[in-house]
Amino acid sequence: MTQLMNENGIRCDGRKIDQLRNISLKVGILKNADGSAYIEFGKNKILAGVFGPRDVHPKHMADQDTGILRCRYHMSPFSVTERKNPAPSRREIEISKVIKEALQPAVILKDFPRTVTDVFVEVLQADGGSRCAALDAASVALADAGIPMRDLVAACAAGKVANQIVLDVNDEEDKEGQADMPVAYMPNHGKITLMQLDGILTPTEYKTCLETAIGGCKQVYEIQKKALMEKYFENGGQQ
Amino acid sequence: MGGSVIIEQLKRERILELLNQGQRLDGRGLYDQRSLSVETGVIPKADGSARVRLGDTEIVTGVKIQPDKPFPDLGDKGILICTAEILPLADPSAEPGPPNEEVIELARVVDRGIRETEMLDLKQLVLIKDKTVIGIFVDCSVINAAGNLFDACSYASVAALLSCMVPKYEIKEELPVLVEGKKSKPPIKTIPVSVTMARIGDHIVVDPTADEQACMDARITITSNSDGNICALQKGGSDGFTVEQLIKCSEIALSVGTKIRKQLAQLM
Amino acid sequence: METIKRRYVIPGDVITTGPYRPEQNVYQDGDRIISTSIGISEIYDNAVRVIPLSGMYMPKNNDLVIGKVVGHSSLSWEFDINSCFVGFLPAQDVFGRDYSPTKDELKARLDKGDLVVARIANFDRSRDPLLTIQDRDLGKIESGELIKIAPSKVPRLIGKRGSMIQTIELATKAMITIGQNGWIVVSCEDPVGLLKAIEAVKMVDAQAHTPNLTERVKSMLGVELGENNDTINE
Repeated sequence: MTQLMNENGIRCDGRKIDQLRNISLKVGILKNADGSAYIEFGKNKILAGVFGPRDVHPKHMADQDTGILRCRYHMSPFSVTERKNPAPSRREIEISKVIKEALQPAVILKDFPRTVTDVFVEVLQADGGSRCAALDAASVALADAGIPMRDLVAACAAGKVANQIVLDVNDEEDKEGQADMPVAYMPNHGKITLMQLDGILTPTEYKTCLETAIGGCKQVYEIQKKALMEKYFENGGQQ
Repeated sequence: MGGSVIIEQLKRERILELLNQGQRLDGRGLYDQRSLSVETGVIPKADGSARVRLGDTEIVTGVKIQPDKPFPDLGDKGILICTAEILPLADPSAEPGPPNEEVIELARVVDRGIRETEMLDLKQLVLIKDKTVIGIFVDCSVINAAGNLFDACSYASVAALLSCMVPKYEIKEELPVLVEGKKSKPPIKTIPVSVTMARIGDHIVVDPTADEQACMDARITITSNSDGNICALQKGGSDGFTVEQLIKCSEIALSVGTKIRKQLAQLM
Repeated sequence: METIKRRYVIPGDVITTGPYRPEQNVYQDGDRIISTSIGISEIYDNAVRVIPLSGMYMPKNNDLVIGKVVGHSSLSWEFDINSCFVGFLPAQDVFGRDYSPTKDELKARLDKGDLVVARIANFDRSRDPLLTIQDRDLGKIESGELIKIAPSKVPRLIGKRGSMIQTIELATKAMITIGQNGWIVVSCEDPVGLLKAIEAVKMVDAQAHTPNLTERVKSMLGVELGENNDTINE
């Protein structure tokens, strides 16, 4: 078993307890999609593509009053250690749902009744925290597609490893640590739109873990903002 | 991925008009492929990987290698399985869900074009005869569909295999155990190269774009190997070819194939 | 005139707080006015709006655009090109380098309200785009009707390799010039054809996000599946 933390509080991948993995995010990298983004979050490599607003099939899924949001989170067979069957697993279906529900409060679709905005996320390489990374890319892809949004959604996980609350749990920490709490956050509204917990926390740890995750979300938000600025406002700053 | 029937009718006229003058919409010659870029090692956690761009068509392919049970009656050979999936983010008309006949055809043609062409010497991938062999999975994810997915997936699969590293397994008490840090090059016998052509009226064009596919009468994918032999073939589309056209196509496939093979061979 | 305060914003950015009227692409949350789009926020009079960048036209070098003269100095004409940037056509593009025209001479060539097909000659975001009308197909548009569509719909109007716009032109015998900035000029000798072409362009603008649009446009234009389009206006 890996040593998850040494005496100096350094984690198995060399990070400190409050340190995010390296993140790089590029917007608008797919030609056919209306909006897209590609994120590398630690070793996670994830593509997000958005189409919409567009016609709904089958028709009975359409809402007469507002556009709907659909989301598909999928992992490529080669994305995980043991090759995965391409058919959607129950885990992927659940993650698709929670990602959709994380984005729903942020998108404004009432001006597009009877349409759907599709968000497709493909994990090309997974390494712990892929649902948060997927959300971070999806959120930016939606903005890139010109979908009106109340806010971006920034996501990041915190967890308990070697009896410490740490920021941004990687694959090994997820497998061998004590708790993993992914969180998604709308930064300008202080609203949490995704939250799950896998593991056991005391009430105090729960609060610390949540605050830590939100701190991570705020850092991710700055990266999302920068990525959008880079594509749309080349000099990246105020006019 | 398909355009609507209406577009086909229209496009035909314009494209035919240009074809009669020996031209194509994007300015290519009839037998020219779009620009091809191949990058390997893009998914470090996989045993091999490649990202291919053929024009705007873009594919990411990963190779995963792990011990497996051999197929019955083929206990002296390793396993090689290739798949392809058109991701819904690749094209507005690509819908999520179980694969349709088009996607299944794509996957099976890519699979035959690698496995049946004997690209790998599967006999070298046996751990315990009839019990445990090396299983190699080559999975293509189409991330942008812009015509000619057959060739793009084929090149991506070949590139990923040429550049992959096979982990070493030892047998301990009849079970395969991974030996860390020892990898070897895959047993490559030949480099299959597929070339897809579309027949539009009386004209044959190589590497059709999505527009050309939408108005083609028939399509053929011909795969050749390093010996200059034809080792896989698939005809598609709702119309036919004459014998002369088929012979012409085989000649084109061999000559274009030789060029592409040079580019791919550098990845070994 | 009040100065307009401008800023780059992304969805969720708080543009300002206070008693402002929220207009396009913003919403009100308590007393905060927040952007819903990637774009440029403007605070003017007592209103706040955002000009979206991900939906609207962003000039690119070499783009063909249709512009409308909104003013001029003795050095250049100013164009509305449906962007948050004003397009400038230098006088020397028309008069040559060695000639210094007067303001009146500029006005005689191109006056306020004139429509022009131009190309973006030079644009980086540190300054306003420069236009040129030097090529053969560029210049003042002498006849035709101007239709405005969302720039994000222009590719749909053009269609894959021109299939959509050709459907319309072939079916109506109209000549349609499409600016990347979403401004379209339609001209046709046959008045019926002109109306149909305009209706087709507007249809694409309204329904660009739906599939099978070409079928419906063709159906509206009275073109049947499989029929040779050239016979339609016999």
